[in-house]
Amino acid sequence: MRLDICYRTAFAFDAPVRESQNELRACPVTDGRQQLLSYRVTVEPSARMLSFTDYWGTRVDHFGVAESHTCLEVIAEASVETQDPPAHSAAPPMESLGDPAFLNEHDEFLKPTRHTDWDQAMAGQARTLAEANGSDVVGAVTELNEFVGTRLAYETGATEIGEPITEVLAKGVGVCQDYAHLAVALCRSIGIPARYVSGFLFSSNERTGSIDGDLVRVQTHAWLEAAVPSLGWIPLDPTNRLAVGRQHVKIGHGRDYDDVPPLRGVYSGPGTPEVDASVEIRRMDPGRQPSTLLRPSLLAAVKAPRTREQQQQQQQQ
Amino acid sequence: MSAAPAFFDEAVDEQGRIRDHYRPVQEWFDRLSLEQVKALEGQRNESFRRQGITFTVYGGDEGTERTWPMDLFPRVIDAEEWAMLERGLIQRVTALNRFLDDIYTGEQAILHDDIVPRRLITSCTGFEREAMNVAVPLGARCLVAGIDLVRGADGTYRVLEDNLRNPSGISYVIENRAAMTKLLPAAFADLAVRSVDHYGRSLLRALRSIAPPACGDDPTVAVLTPGIFNSAYFEHAFLARSMGVELVEGRDLVVDDHVVAMRTTRGLERVDVIYRRIDDHFLDPVVFNAQSTLGVPGLMAAARAGTVSIANSVGNGVGDDKAVYAYVPDMIRYYLGEEPIIPNADTYLLWEEDQRAEVLERLDQLVVKPVAESGGYGIVIGPTATDAELAEARDKIMQDPRNWIAQEVVNLSRLPAWAGDAFAPRHIDLRPFVLCGEQVEVIPGGLTRVALREGSLIVNSSQGGGSKDTWVLGRPDQPKPEANR
Repeated sequence: MRLDICYRTAFAFDAPVRESQNELRACPVTDGRQQLLSYRVTVEPSARMLSFTDYWGTRVDHFGVAESHTCLEVIAEASVETQDPPAHSAAPPMESLGDPAFLNEHDEFLKPTRHTDWDQAMAGQARTLAEANGSDVVGAVTELNEFVGTRLAYETGATEIGEPITEVLAKGVGVCQDYAHLAVALCRSIGIPARYVSGFLFSSNERTGSIDGDLVRVQTHAWLEAAVPSLGWIPLDPTNRLAVGRQHVKIGHGRDYDDVPPLRGVYSGPGTPEVDASVEIRRMDPGRQPSTLLRPSLLAAVKAPRTREQQQQQQQQ
Repeated sequence: MSAAPAFFDEAVDEQGRIRDHYRPVQEWFDRLSLEQVKALEGQRNESFRRQGITFTVYGGDEGTERTWPMDLFPRVIDAEEWAMLERGLIQRVTALNRFLDDIYTGEQAILHDDIVPRRLITSCTGFEREAMNVAVPLGARCLVAGIDLVRGADGTYRVLEDNLRNPSGISYVIENRAAMTKLLPAAFADLAVRSVDHYGRSLLRALRSIAPPACGDDPTVAVLTPGIFNSAYFEHAFLARSMGVELVEGRDLVVDDHVVAMRTTRGLERVDVIYRRIDDHFLDPVVFNAQSTLGVPGLMAAARAGTVSIANSVGNGVGDDKAVYAYVPDMIRYYLGEEPIIPNADTYLLWEEDQRAEVLERLDQLVVKPVAESGGYGIVIGPTATDAELAEARDKIMQDPRNWIAQEVVNLSRLPAWAGDAFAPRHIDLRPFVLCGEQVEVIPGGLTRVALREGSLIVNSSQGGGSKDTWVLGRPDQPKPEANR
């Protein structure tokens, strides 16, 4: 599927700020399932870009605005061709997770992190769910993914980034980041390496994955990948329990959100921002030339978190 | 309890004779009266107090600022012994630089070849993914290294730990020497003691050698300090002064278009090399701790863009993690094809099940250390620990075995130190300083630390230790090489 994506975030400050330094991670990765056709970042006020690939393989665009400013707008436009992943039929047993070479390779995806810190009760629950499904790894991750999808109710604004995953589970509500973090934590708690994926979902409804027309207005999406011995990384989307396929555009992965935030940065000055963030995705006719400039739409403003020292860390919803 | 431990005496041989290289010093001190020693002690304290040469102890109840305790009796290392140590230190730091470059900008060949397990690196708190693919000119990642050496009962020098992030103490080496030449000029008579006061010049030369190639022949260097509340602030100011460069705090620096500049009375001035004495996690709030007020936003991107060089390199903690330390001899063999000249202390990795089992059985005979701490914090010494302390250590090891190592107790060698009314044997170690630029250079001697309490093996100044001036003797045929420059 040919998808053209326009990611836009705008900050309107109520007083001038300066020395803003930012990192953008919004570029679709090229991997076995998708191919990036074009990518362009524009920033206003204009700034020099430093683009590089980080440790996790994600493209990062770094830019700073030294002079005083009251608005900052970031637009990233991408064209990408996506495919469904190949079907897999192997069913490696849970014991295969204990292979020393496999453990050595996946150690960093087995440890708790700030957003995936599970407790004993969660690990017990994960163990029970996995065992109920027989003893193979694919069955276990599918079961955990189902559990998260049915256990949490989708509700925007009910949680904040940084909320402990045990709290999210207790409340039973969250958004895609919470679904992904919870599923990652459950997998890791029973020794299945799992990583958090940041990306875009071409869908009119994040929770069901339904598509209505060729143009959708969304936010960034999140899902997960689990490592299965002899199969490699298999993707799962607990928010809608869709098979991860052509609708999913992956930006990158990491241990949790903190390794792949779409936009992070700091600035100095007394101003506090109104943040306006949006993503538009258009399904294109195959063969059509990329780089059609999309008109960004204005969505409702989202308050960014504040700190007293004016060392704000800008985060996407 | 085991039998009384045997110690290696630095100044006296097995037959009780003064060793040759200590004879002039020993004879000189033998001639001093009690009153003369006390007078010298008074002069020393007054001099340090007047100059503000102090250090800070975190978490102490009493005043946290103390004058620097330097013992009058110097440590002496003869030319031949030093030549061996110098070769061993150059070898070790060269291998560590190769290792760090391999991990951050290389092929990670040592992981692919299974010499060092990958998960040892990915589980290391000092492994900075934000430093991935940030190149360092000359591969001089450990621009300043402090390698802690000890001598056990057999007199063999061993490396106890590597300090590759922000090793401190060099200012005390230089101040100790300055104090000793003032207090005891006659004691140096007839000895070709190699000088240490060229350190500032050598450090500046090394820093300039890693400047970005594009910045020309006259790179600007600055020392970046966390500020006056840091325990080593005295040293930061000392180093900036001795190099003749600016001492700056994070707020004095600004990044524009991936170029670092400092705010000066003359306006913005570009900075090419930053000798930073701020921990990685506070260096740049964009990529590390967003709450840090000490760092410089955008600094890591500037380093990645190659417009500024940072020393020591970001992420060096992966090289001085105490579990990684156990692999340094293998690194020397792997990268250099040589046998280590200075061996490690015997070390057990507690994440290895069989080693852990052995250690837990002998916990009361071993030293247990957290892998990422320095300054002696968190260490449990089995033979002197209480049952409760041992039980706590056992719990901590079981909870997170990757975070701990165990070592055999090293019965540190002894040297006389002033004990109030007479000189008495006290335990010592040695931290030589190694500089890497175009070449690897070892400053003659280093910081000898001494446990001032009788019987104590803890030499850290934060734990009641003191220091000694360290004299490396020149070879008779090439006296005082640095003095000729």
